[in-house]
Amino acid sequence: MTELNKENAIKDKVTSKFSFMNEKVLVKRERRVYADVELSNFRQVFDYIVKDLEFCRICMITGFDEGENFGFMYHLTDDKGMIFDLKTYAPKTNPVIKTITDTFPGGVLYERELVDMFGVKVDGLPEGERYPLPDGWPEGQYPLRKDWNRDMLKD
Amino acid sequence: MGTVKIPIGPQHPALKEPESFLISLDGERIKDVGMRLGYNHRGVEKAAEGRTYIQNIYLIERVCGICSHSHSTAFIQAVEEVAGVEIPKRAKYIRSIVGELERVHSHLLWLGVAGHEVGFDTLLMYSWRDREVVMELLAAIGGNRVNYAMNTFGGARRDLDKDMLERILKAVDVLEDRTKYYINIATKETTLIKRLSGVGYISKDDVIKLGTVGPTGRASGISRDARKDDPYAAYGEVDFNVITDTHCDVYGRAVVRLLELMETYKIIRQLIKNIPDGDIAVRFPRRVPAGEATSRYEAPRGEDVHYVKGNGTDKPERVKLRAPTLANLMSVAKMLEDDNLADVPIAIAAIDPCFSCTDRMIKLEHSSGNSEIVTWGDLRKRSIDFYRTQHGIDFSELNKKYRGNL
Amino acid sequence: MMMQLFYILIFPGFLFLYLMSFILEYEDRIIYARLQNRKGPPLFQPLADFIKLLAKEDIVPECADKKIFKLMPMIALTAVVTSFFYIPIWGVNSLYPFKGDLIVVLYLLTIPTVTFFLAGWSSTSLYSTIGAVRTLTQLFSYEVLLFLSVLSPAMLADSWSLGDMASFYNERPAMMLFNIVAFGMSLVAMLGKLEKVPFDIAEAETEIVGGTFTEYSGRLFAFFRMAINMEMVVGASLIAAVFLPFGLTLDPVYGFMLYIVKVFFVIFFLSVGRTVFARLRIDQMVSVCWKYFAPIAFAQIVLILIVKGVVL
Repeated sequence: MTELNKENAIKDKVTSKFSFMNEKVLVKRERRVYADVELSNFRQVFDYIVKDLEFCRICMITGFDEGENFGFMYHLTDDKGMIFDLKTYAPKTNPVIKTITDTFPGGVLYERELVDMFGVKVDGLPEGERYPLPDGWPEGQYPLRKDWNRDMLKD
Repeated sequence: MGTVKIPIGPQHPALKEPESFLISLDGERIKDVGMRLGYNHRGVEKAAEGRTYIQNIYLIERVCGICSHSHSTAFIQAVEEVAGVEIPKRAKYIRSIVGELERVHSHLLWLGVAGHEVGFDTLLMYSWRDREVVMELLAAIGGNRVNYAMNTFGGARRDLDKDMLERILKAVDVLEDRTKYYINIATKETTLIKRLSGVGYISKDDVIKLGTVGPTGRASGISRDARKDDPYAAYGEVDFNVITDTHCDVYGRAVVRLLELMETYKIIRQLIKNIPDGDIAVRFPRRVPAGEATSRYEAPRGEDVHYVKGNGTDKPERVKLRAPTLANLMSVAKMLEDDNLADVPIAIAAIDPCFSCTDRMIKLEHSSGNSEIVTWGDLRKRSIDFYRTQHGIDFSELNKKYRGNL
Repeated sequence: MMMQLFYILIFPGFLFLYLMSFILEYEDRIIYARLQNRKGPPLFQPLADFIKLLAKEDIVPECADKKIFKLMPMIALTAVVTSFFYIPIWGVNSLYPFKGDLIVVLYLLTIPTVTFFLAGWSSTSLYSTIGAVRTLTQLFSYEVLLFLSVLSPAMLADSWSLGDMASFYNERPAMMLFNIVAFGMSLVAMLGKLEKVPFDIAEAETEIVGGTFTEYSGRLFAFFRMAINMEMVVGASLIAAVFLPFGLTLDPVYGFMLYIVKVFFVIFFLSVGRTVFARLRIDQMVSVCWKYFAPIAFAQIVLILIVKGVVL
């Protein structure tokens, strides 16, 4: 097993910068770092990781339906093959997150996917054609929510 | 002539798959590009949640026809990481060999499509003829021209025996020879160069901002290749270069792909030379423990990213996948700025789009929920009924008359 | 009178042109296919395509100018067939020779292009409209080239009559060598006129679907295709008559056979041309034609002037 020096260095940087991140950053394996952050702190951690730690590209955003909450995992990578999975949560009762398209203009499609598939509201997402559902898709049907199944489409 | 809006798609000869671009034109010059995606969503992610891991291999493999091996490998790697299973070395080599052969097939396919898009059908005919070499090889290895089904959890499903490895080496010699010929054409043929260079320009900064991946990104000078950055399968043990180019245009993308082919041949030779003996698969548990993993795979078109979350059962909690085209599509609008209408097909084609990979989310099953098996006879009957009820044309007499001959 | 009708309708008139157009289309397609490592169509494929198209439904777009839309294929066809009567085939003289028939042929050959434009424009589809505009833009770049390149043998022979030119070169075959550059240029211009790769910009399939002809179907499209194929015959015959006027004083049977060989030869060049190039962009085509080909054609004319001063 390699020493995971680089990974641990990233972990240390994040935890020393943000005290609330203690115990929340995990080194999963070589080139994989994971962190959990509350929605209110998400943006500052995100900006720090992107700008100061140079995770300059977003791979994708994975949405989760976790019962009470929606989870959002931002898969960020740097030029050396490291992936930082930054996860945040928003309550189902008020699923609103802030856009990251100001930092990554290429992230538009990933955020539109969250909007269509989970019924999340993304603040600041530029206007545009919906993606990926068709125009005639019924309101209030969000296919990737766990309680959704195809029978609900019948009517 | 004022501004004219030209729809390219959802059905258009330049696009092999449904996707819509609305091009605003001033004369022949492009002012603005509007995009509408999602015509081909199949609901793979939702479907994956309702299937067992084993079933999912075959589902994920069908995300894309061309990079079928890429998607299944990316998915399987993620699941193996969740389960904590280390696969035998020989299996890793087999995965890499098949993956590289797939790259050859994909890049040659791209070359032909690119030729067709700029009206150079001769290039299409030539490169697709040579592509048959690798297609036949893949058919011999996996029994299928696409969807080779070589992967399974814990290793590979089929071994590559000595004869097959010999055969691959021989085919690689032929292909290398042909690729040199294409490199020669691409760098010397005047009309081709005229049509490719300067088209679809995207700067290095924009590439980084828009998250462009694969050969499209590498043609703008960023050296990102998951095989090098995040070595998976057997790539950590082979020596190869990441090809980059600084043209930033379609010409650069063509050159990158062609030179990448040469690297691919190099990789295949090394893999075959060093392939270790041993098992090709280990036992894999039916239930995958709770946990999550993100896996990357450098598909021919760019980087596939798969995320798998397990919950201790035999079905995944969440599967998320991102095909390279989705990452690259955002750059298309940028590329087309101020280009000519004539450049649209090739600029779109230059990211090697695969819209069926990109779109993968909505179920196409019958809305009643029961999937059913439709036989050929049923289909016939349905179409005859359709014409009788909808159009008042009755084919059943004709059908009876000719049925005997069928 | 009967003889005249026979000439016009059967040989070397309409029927001959009709058959010839299929044979040459076949030749073009088979060469194109063989050079691309394909098998190519069987001999009767062009005829079969034509018959099949005839049997298909004619669809006229709602908002199209229906009269023009339906009329244009016929006008294109008529213009092409008419022009064929002025081209010498097996003898020094054509069917209806007169002074200045070369100019008439060239102008008659321009008419199909104009009908393409009108057809595309009147079908009102976006793709057709763009194709139509491209057709005209293209016309301005290759037409000058064609005229210039035909001008040089005419100047050398000191005549605007195809018959006179033919007899001039028959007496002095070596003189033809001075026109080789013009021959090449005329082939390039002919590729443009017939809208073949690299100049098939007006109907670029991958960009504007079918260009001018996007909305055409069935019989009307069949006639347009026939007009284009006949234009190919006429164009090849014209090039053969102007640049390869050898053996015209032979026995008509040999002369005719020689004519076939010459036309095949010209078509061969056109097919190779469309095999080895990629489609240019419209701006590239205009700039290539005006920046390179037109000056070359001018240089050819200067050469002819010098030759005329020195040799003749």
